[in-house]
Amino acid sequence: MHIAKQLMAISGVIAAGEYAYRGDRYTYEGNLTDEFARMAAILCRANTLNASMQAEMFSSFAEHCGCRPLQGWIVRGRQVSVCAVGNFFCLLENRQGVLNDVMTVMRAKVGDIHDGVMKSMYSKIGGDITEQLV
Amino acid sequence: MNLAKLMEVPGVMAAFTYTDKGDLTGQVIKEGNELTPAVLDLLAHTCVANMAVATMEARGWEAMTGQKGFEPLQGFSLVGLDWSAVVNGNCGVVVKNRDADYEAAFAAIVACAA
Repeated sequence: MHIAKQLMAISGVIAAGEYAYRGDRYTYEGNLTDEFARMAAILCRANTLNASMQAEMFSSFAEHCGCRPLQGWIVRGRQVSVCAVGNFFCLLENRQGVLNDVMTVMRAKVGDIHDGVMKSMYSKIGGDITEQLV
Repeated sequence: MNLAKLMEVPGVMAAFTYTDKGDLTGQVIKEGNELTPAVLDLLAHTCVANMAVATMEARGWEAMTGQKGFEPLQGFSLVGLDWSAVVNGNCGVVVKNRDADYEAAFAAIVACAA
């Protein structure tokens, strides 16, 4: 089953989608207009790249600090949260248990995959994989 | 801000406090991990920056879409390979991903920041 569909099966998930690391392709399911989904995809891609850069910088202080490659990030709002893991994003309500369920699914499906996320990201944005990951 | 209380969060590896600019003001690091005060200091700076960016994005998103419920933000988490940092206000924790309870971590951080 597609990951967005799996996320949408969790009660409290508002919308879920996938975006390309480069370019403006995206897919989504849930309660968003197409234009808002496009904006969400751009926002999540930009934040993920930024946070990935930060995780790379941590390794200059402690090479095996356990932070890289980055899996994703969470913004916790008052009633709504946004999660991004790999190149998937999820918009959810802050109901009991929803965030933990969403993160479990996202990490199982697209996170915890060692260097795969970063290799894929660097290859798609045209970076030097060897130089960045050695 | 009670670091000892934050050290009760499930899967916690470290708890820390920082200024509005991100300078580390206190930390407790559990033995047996690679975290150092220098890493926590950089982490605090990045989290202050990320919270500022997230606040800007939340405000913009609410204005553009009409969808409310983000502001005021309750926190930000950076999910690394082995651990996640969860921060809000001037408090932060680092938790092992394997044992992480993100909702408990955000609740503890919000309580610390209150």
